[in-house]
Amino acid sequence: MKTARFVPILLAFSIPAAALAQAPPVVPYERLVKSDGEPQDWMTYGGNYYGQRFSALRQINKLNVGTLRMAWAYQTVRPASNMESSPIVVDGIMYLTEPPSTVTALDSRTGAKIWTWSPILNNVVAIGLFQTNRGVAILDKTVYIATIDAHLVALDAKTGAVKWNTLVADNRVGYAITGPPLVINGKVLIGTGGSEAAVRGFLDCFDAATGKRLWRIWTVPALNEPGSESWGTALPEGGTTWNAGAYDPELNLVYWGTGNPAPDWNGDERPGDNLYTCSLLAIDPDTGKMKWFFQFSPHETHDWDASEPPVLFDDSINGKPRKLLGFANRNGFYYVLDRATGEFITGIPYVKQTWAKGLDAKGRPIFLPNIDPTPEGNLVFPSITGAVNWTSPSYSPLTKLFYVDAREMGSYFLKSAPRWEPGKFPAGGGGERALSGDDAYGAIRALDGTTGKRKWEFKLLAPSWVGTLATGGGLVFSGSDEGNFFALDADTGKPLWEIFLGSSIRSNPVTFAVDGKQYVIVSAGSTFFTFALP
Amino acid sequence: MKAVRLPCVVALAFFAWGLGAMAQIPRDMTPVTARTSPEDVAAGRAIYESTCSKCHGIDGGGGDGPILQGVTDRLGDTQTGAIIRQGIPGSGMGAFWQISVEQAGQIFGYLKSLSHEEKGIAPGDIAKGKDTYTKSGCAGCHMIAGEGGDVGPELTRIGAMRGPSYLRGALLNPGSNLPKDAGVMERGRFMQYLFVHTVDKAGKTIDGTRVSEDSFTIVIKDSTGRIHALRKLDLQTFEKIPGKSVMPSYRDTVTGSDLDNLIAYLTSLKGTQ
Repeated sequence: MKTARFVPILLAFSIPAAALAQAPPVVPYERLVKSDGEPQDWMTYGGNYYGQRFSALRQINKLNVGTLRMAWAYQTVRPASNMESSPIVVDGIMYLTEPPSTVTALDSRTGAKIWTWSPILNNVVAIGLFQTNRGVAILDKTVYIATIDAHLVALDAKTGAVKWNTLVADNRVGYAITGPPLVINGKVLIGTGGSEAAVRGFLDCFDAATGKRLWRIWTVPALNEPGSESWGTALPEGGTTWNAGAYDPELNLVYWGTGNPAPDWNGDERPGDNLYTCSLLAIDPDTGKMKWFFQFSPHETHDWDASEPPVLFDDSINGKPRKLLGFANRNGFYYVLDRATGEFITGIPYVKQTWAKGLDAKGRPIFLPNIDPTPEGNLVFPSITGAVNWTSPSYSPLTKLFYVDAREMGSYFLKSAPRWEPGKFPAGGGGERALSGDDAYGAIRALDGTTGKRKWEFKLLAPSWVGTLATGGGLVFSGSDEGNFFALDADTGKPLWEIFLGSSIRSNPVTFAVDGKQYVIVSAGSTFFTFALP
Repeated sequence: MKAVRLPCVVALAFFAWGLGAMAQIPRDMTPVTARTSPEDVAAGRAIYESTCSKCHGIDGGGGDGPILQGVTDRLGDTQTGAIIRQGIPGSGMGAFWQISVEQAGQIFGYLKSLSHEEKGIAPGDIAKGKDTYTKSGCAGCHMIAGEGGDVGPELTRIGAMRGPSYLRGALLNPGSNLPKDAGVMERGRFMQYLFVHTVDKAGKTIDGTRVSEDSFTIVIKDSTGRIHALRKLDLQTFEKIPGKSVMPSYRDTVTGSDLDNLIAYLTSLKGTQ
């Protein structure tokens, strides 16, 4: 019964008084592993290694969230659109990013700036992506940022001074980075974007102390390598790793999604499943070897990257405890996998989809006929931008619900002759005419984590680009594309608080506490807004 | 093209020098003018489809980026031409220096061919149409050059924005073919002048056209021109009714040559720029 969980909400969470903005943070790997024990901090992109975006903080809760007020705001150095940054907060210091690749450290109590670092960028090539950045990672005394021109940079957490700067890949041919690094014991993992430029996808791992590359795993095979038979005679291209991964310290496995094969919408030259695009890869971080993979969308032609952040959680299936992985895919299906083995457990649509009859016993889609793009345009749901995109869902271990910002929108998918020149033209071979405006809508949906069945929804005017945040206060925070920031009852979806921020929200909200006070932060337009109780 | 081969080799050699150092591609700020010959438009279309369509839609109807149909009407030639290669700093529209001035001109020519403006000629008499406009009471709701009401859309430039057949449809079946706004992606392509019916929890009805909307709020202009901003959570009924309009149909009141004349007058309204 859910009611039993309501009892402790009235008691303010006891927050350790260790938050001293003057002291530089020291974040050993062990702290990151046990980050759930320090809910006042938000130490990794996904809130914890599991990517759950759940905080146990409950000072702000169902009973008092209606009184939430703005505490402080921070405006970016330059006006920015598509600000997709998700801050991290450690020991009272916040590290956020600004488009395209700036890092700023702030006093999280006041928003006062401590330092800012920006790379020197010239003639950036950004094909099929916005020049933005989703966030940093911290390990020991170092903050890690990956830049739009595909460098990985280590900054001193106290001063912002550069410790090392490593070239990850060649931006001139289309590699670009917008996603956050994942740091684990002594290592920094980073992926890149660039599938629309027809680059070959990979995941890289660097030594956290020196910036030396430890390994690289390609996400698509070279010609004549195993897996290349799934491409006909085409040179495998695409499968980039442009968003966030997750990590299970016990299994010592990193989970990372891969993007579309190239060219996107014209699959004529690449018959077959196109391994390992639109897949989830489980990788041993010590060796860089793939332990298992699960391909969501074989021979993908709708740009439905499997780049959504994976969410790890533990629950029982048929009475047996399992280590699970929940994945709300851009293709419209919610999947539950066994994260130790990659075994498919279940998968059901969480939005309107018109391309698959369903999934078979192994999770492979049963395709409907005539779903590919055509020269005239073929209407298929979901749209090119997908049922979700880069935003992060959340999972509450209290409600056992998976909260996703679902996008109900279709597209007329178009096909044309692919054209490509390195670093110049995208290799798309088509495009879309989206059924947006009054023909589309968005919704925050609560899905049962183990079955994907919908428990509730809260409808939005337009499909949103805002992730969700679940809290111990029984709340789910998210926002709208129009600019509403709001809190819903995590059990029922009922709106409990809302404020209009005046510009599109396109980021993931985050919560933290400092000096005994809980805050919630989200960006809209060029501004980060921070809220707390009066 | 042979002419570009040598510079490419030089550029590649330059790339090879510096580890991680970015080669500087000189930025050519030559103004871009539209190339509108059929060959140029066809070439522009091919470049557009491979380069621009992912964000702007293959027919310019918008996607991640704004609708480009009629963009030159909105921005003017100089600005449109500049944006193609230079982008819009701080936005999702990056610079495309890799595209030559000639290619940009071809894309520009293709964009012009996507314009909303219909090239039909209205057969009626403009002066008589102005009389019909006055006698029919159109000015009670519509404004032309500062004269008239503000319930419906201003018509000062309606002839530059809409063609005769569209205007005929709007007079006979208002609300049947509403224009869509030109915002970006999820914020774009919303129907303008959409009819909305609301009843609040006290039982009060407010109907009118949508002025703006977000996930929590609807702003409505009623048939007297009054603006109401309503919280959706405070409403017991909230319906959007496509096809319905606060404007009456003139199917039975303005007919035959009077209708042709009225359309000719409206088509003649190009405003001043």
